[in-house]
Amino acid sequence: MSYRVLLEALARKRVVILKEYPVNTLTQLAVTYLFFAGIFFGGKAVAGPAITDSLPGIIVGFFVWTMAITAFAGAARSIMQEAQWGTLEQLYMSPYGFERVMAVNAVVRLLESFAWGGVILAAMLATTRQTLSLDVLTVVPLVVLTVASALGIGFVFAGLALVYKRIENLFGLFNFGLLFLIAAPVDEYPALAALPLTQGSALLQRAMTDGVALWNLPAIELAILVATAVGYAAVGMVAFRVAEARARRDGLLGQY
Amino acid sequence: MTGSSYTNEGGTAPSGGDTGSNPAVVADGLRKTYGDGDDAVVAVDDVSFTVDAGEIVGVLGPNGAGKTTTIKMLLGLVTSTAGTATVAGVDVATNQRAVYEHVGAMLEGARNVYWRLSVRENLKFFAAIGGADPVNVRDRHDELLDALGITEKADVPVRELSRGQKQKVALACTLARDADVVFLDEPTLGLDVESSLDLQRELVRLAREDDVTVVLSSHDMDVVERVCDRVVILGDGSVVADERVDDLVEVFATQAYRLRVSNEPGLRDAVAATGTVESWTVEDDLARFQVVLSDQDAFYDLVDAVRENGADLESFESIDPDLEDVFVELTSDDEPTARHDEPTARHDEPTARHDEVTTNDDEPTVADTEGTRTSPETPATDGGGES
Repeated sequence: MSYRVLLEALARKRVVILKEYPVNTLTQLAVTYLFFAGIFFGGKAVAGPAITDSLPGIIVGFFVWTMAITAFAGAARSIMQEAQWGTLEQLYMSPYGFERVMAVNAVVRLLESFAWGGVILAAMLATTRQTLSLDVLTVVPLVVLTVASALGIGFVFAGLALVYKRIENLFGLFNFGLLFLIAAPVDEYPALAALPLTQGSALLQRAMTDGVALWNLPAIELAILVATAVGYAAVGMVAFRVAEARARRDGLLGQY
Repeated sequence: MTGSSYTNEGGTAPSGGDTGSNPAVVADGLRKTYGDGDDAVVAVDDVSFTVDAGEIVGVLGPNGAGKTTTIKMLLGLVTSTAGTATVAGVDVATNQRAVYEHVGAMLEGARNVYWRLSVRENLKFFAAIGGADPVNVRDRHDELLDALGITEKADVPVRELSRGQKQKVALACTLARDADVVFLDEPTLGLDVESSLDLQRELVRLAREDDVTVVLSSHDMDVVERVCDRVVILGDGSVVADERVDDLVEVFATQAYRLRVSNEPGLRDAVAATGTVESWTVEDDLARFQVVLSDQDAFYDLVDAVRENGADLESFESIDPDLEDVFVELTSDDEPTARHDEPTARHDEPTARHDEVTTNDDEPTVADTEGTRTSPETPATDGGGES
């Protein structure tokens, strides 16, 4: 067995499905962009040139939000979709193990989040004519660690989806909750760094707007980022496993 | 009814659920209870059976009998409350991943595959999920497509296929990972006759040629009778029969006959003296009746009674049960007469299946409509009959 083969299979399936639902795919992107455009042009109309000062922060926030949503909602939505399609039990019966299949699927969603995040970022920069520091060696690790905590929460929701199936409204609500986490004032209230996304978002702001390289960021803050990434990912996996056991006990895996 | 060229005559399966030397599937005291306390519902209770490698076993039962729950416990998709399940020699509860290296399952029919993906993309995906590299099993996929007659559809999205073709794709994907043991829940549900026959043919080929073990549940008794070596019948969550199909049908065979003879005075009383007359109509001087005899020897008495009354035997049919009759008998609300370990026939109810009988001067033979099953020995008669 090869995880490369598994990753390729899950990625290929995802690409085919995205191509098969072009309107849905493009609508997701358009909604995110229009949301940003509304804030940008609305803010410009209200605040005039003053908004320019906070634009880099808004752009980075939207960039992180786009990727976090793609990864977080993707994990939970995958479970719901597979259950509806009737393929969830097939994934469960993989010799790789269900959690591993879903973890690799999460990696696919993470890669997808980079694609959408990149597109949205490019569109935002083009619209606002702003520039940001995009040092790949800094941005990519920070994004991965940031989104990992969102993925962890995504796995909690995926577990809920295993048991309760229809939880769209719940994670729809959480999607907007992510905005608050991304904008959380970690510098003012350090305790907020324990929440998912907060530390990563703050570090990405500094890296992308101020051009601070990864190795120049405070070690303690990076340690907090790693700890929250690993911690939330672990919490997500444990919650998912508990939900999986519950679903098997109650015979819910095949239901939708 | 058996009868096609791909039936399981000569299958090597052990009868009566005996544990063979090489069990591919073992259910041992499986029990499943949903809920707790007063609200607890027992879905499956102490279900035990084995399936040998290369055997095709049908798990039958009315709705709510526990078929799907049993299959899902064997697959680890539902945790059992008690008992153990072993597949391919591996304990399902303790080593699921190892079990899944050997198992394929089609539990949702055509819904088991991705309709947006093409047939081949599905095969590749499920091979990969099953632990195989799609590149290495492409030949096998070609063989599967060919065997199921969907080669020309390989690059077509599944959503564009007919229901029968989708079902075939689902079966192909189940087998795409080169499984040793295959579980199929209602594999022919909703298929037209031709597609159903294709699927059945492939299942038998897999078992006979590739030594694949097949456990299937179905409400289609014709399919089960054609394909399965053995059936495990569940009723109210428990095993009510575990027998070879032929043995089960034979045990439930009745000495029931339908006759057409010229009507003569006193004939009815004479016939009634040989057995239980269950219907009697006279039309155009011909008496048509159905009689259930106590044993085979009583048939001689019946023929003698007809002759002694000066009546001419125009025709007769033996009325043998098929699997569906046995199934209804075992799972009806009436107390079943067959036990798991020792089924017994009952003679108090007429059965529905009518094997045409032709008579000649020597010996009547049962001409099963599909030509593969014969009734228990029938006593000779020199009466003429319809051909």
